[in-house]
Amino acid sequence: MPILIDGERIVADDWTFIEDATDVSDANRIIVPAAVAAAQAPSIFGDDREIGVWLPGDAEPDEIVGLLNRIKLIAIRFPSFNDGRGLSLAVLLRSRYGFVGELRAIGEVHEDLLHYMRRCGFDSFQLPDGRDPAVALAALHSLSDFYQGSVIDPRPAFRRVARGSSKPTQAV
Amino acid sequence: MYRYDEFDQHFVEERVAQFRDQTRRYLDGSLTHTEFLHLRLRNGLYIQRLAPMLRVAVPYGTLTSRQLRMLAHIARYYDKGYGHLSTRQNMQFNWPDLAEVPDILADLATVQMHAIQTSGNCIRNVTTDQFAGVAADETIDGRPYCELIRQWSTAHPEFDWLPRKFKIAVNGSASDRAAIDVHDVGIEARRAADGTVFDIKVGGGLGRTPVIGSLIREALPEVHLLTYLEAILRVYNRYGRRDNKYKARIKILVRALSPDVFREQVDAEWAHLKDGPSTLTREEIDRAVTAFTPPDYRQPEHGQSALAGNRLAEPEFSRWVRTNVAPHKRAGYTIVTLSTKVTGIPPGDVSDEQMDAVADWSDRFGFGEIRISHEQNFVLPDVSEGDLYTLWNATRSHGLATANLGKLTDIICCPGGDFCSLANAKSIPIAEAIQRRFEDIDYLHDLGDISLNISGCMNACGHHHVGHIGILGVDKKGEEWYQISLGGNGGRDSSLAEIIGPSFSRADVPDIIDEILGVYVALRQDGERFIDCYRRIGIDPFKERVYADPH
Repeated sequence: MPILIDGERIVADDWTFIEDATDVSDANRIIVPAAVAAAQAPSIFGDDREIGVWLPGDAEPDEIVGLLNRIKLIAIRFPSFNDGRGLSLAVLLRSRYGFVGELRAIGEVHEDLLHYMRRCGFDSFQLPDGRDPAVALAALHSLSDFYQGSVIDPRPAFRRVARGSSKPTQAV
Repeated sequence: MYRYDEFDQHFVEERVAQFRDQTRRYLDGSLTHTEFLHLRLRNGLYIQRLAPMLRVAVPYGTLTSRQLRMLAHIARYYDKGYGHLSTRQNMQFNWPDLAEVPDILADLATVQMHAIQTSGNCIRNVTTDQFAGVAADETIDGRPYCELIRQWSTAHPEFDWLPRKFKIAVNGSASDRAAIDVHDVGIEARRAADGTVFDIKVGGGLGRTPVIGSLIREALPEVHLLTYLEAILRVYNRYGRRDNKYKARIKILVRALSPDVFREQVDAEWAHLKDGPSTLTREEIDRAVTAFTPPDYRQPEHGQSALAGNRLAEPEFSRWVRTNVAPHKRAGYTIVTLSTKVTGIPPGDVSDEQMDAVADWSDRFGFGEIRISHEQNFVLPDVSEGDLYTLWNATRSHGLATANLGKLTDIICCPGGDFCSLANAKSIPIAEAIQRRFEDIDYLHDLGDISLNISGCMNACGHHHVGHIGILGVDKKGEEWYQISLGGNGGRDSSLAEIIGPSFSRADVPDIIDEILGVYVALRQDGERFIDCYRRIGIDPFKERVYADPH
């Protein structure tokens, strides 16, 4: 089973991922294609059932906006290392549509991309098989502060820290 | 000049450590070539035909003397004793050892420099007028806004993995030396009744599909600069094509949607962002503007009369003043461009010794500041009239006094097939052959202002589409051929060049240029410039002459 980093920790994954099946009547804690959840709403959201959905990075939020308060987890799939569409989708789901459940990055989730993903609102990361979660945790913290606002804190540096101060270094 | 505060310094130092760790993981085999590729590109490191190439960011082309001395040190210590001024106002090193690149970046960080986002599909070095802050025709200094955009775009959470590279330029002068019409986003800063505002153009660019940008927003108040850019970038990041790298630039999206529809999408996005937390504060704008407060100019004494005397006594000096010295905002001061375009040296190549010399001159004849122009020359922005003659004499022995600025031999040229693995053909030997053929300085000056730009492939790093004469290297069945185009122009009055016809062999190129110039000389009226003559007579007379005889 792939290893997850849930915020700051390495945890086991207790969700079942459904790639494309449509018959999901019994299972609990399942991640289904967004289209399946949309087609089977509201019945798919049973009383004690936790449902997550997954989307490709180029999906439109409209597909699931009406379900956001019932979905526990959204997984956004990154098709390749250098495809940033999922980052924009995450920002929209968090900042514009107010999704507060777990937002998980899946697919080509590289350790060196985690700091971008986290600032766009992801709080869990499914690392591909063979990646070292310890390296990923270290990479997540390789940069301690950023210029821009983010989903975590929308204030850019110029609204958060006193800019303009400098240590008495040599004149440049 | 902007100086790093603790926040900036801390960021670049952490970034160096991050890249050192990534390099280590690549060298020990835990990162694949492809994984490392994306990471190293965002730190300026290419793997070229012969060796790695490191592109160091020179934000908006501005350097201090101390920074330039560090670049000289890097050229000497880590490279083969020279560097290359790029058409994006950056400095490239062609021979670094991959394992030493983190050390180079650490050295750069000690002088507030970096190589972040100088390559890769991300927001690149933001550029402006190389004369920003000193140009006589300037209304707004573009540098503070470039610096604000630099900080906003550095390791942006959402926009570091775009469909393709993204280039932004800012202009605030009457003449547009920043070439904003041919950028992904071109920003025209101007003064309005209630402060600085921006006109925003989008979707310009060179490359395979050259396009002049479309105006999508007029009079954007300065506080909204970053939120509006965020809206543009979000639309592009989500909808720009990713299936074909040649159709992935924003210009293709703008054209596919139409500029009007693109504007509507940006406006719809911006409606959510406007006045949000990324809106610039007055305090932050003032911090950026104050960083570029003019230096303490003194009223130079007797400069003008000394200059006039020296010009009279030495015609060669006088000619250099006429071509390479531009008017300054402040009376008694001038802006000097030191041409790197000497026959036999690849355009833009500068030695460590030249870098040290330029740094020394900037201290002695200015306020320790140097600019790099997109035409690949050095600029000393604050030389008093009385110092020009001494400076000129000093530059002569360093190969930096060629009086050819804006002339035919002031060639813009990409590294081409000698270095670049993308190139279809070499470009440096073409530049050299043309410089050799047209070395006669009197003839050059008689020809007047002509830009000649050479690219070794369709990617157009040599900006051939906007040269009055453009040369593009093409591959025909494994052989290098050269396509010639006429009528391009980069500045305020921009236009894209038209291809004259079938391409030529390398050996024929100087003859063809000679014939093109012959047509111009024969048909020009009342001292009109090449580009004006071309616009009046069209391409046909040139075509007829060039293809009259078999080549």
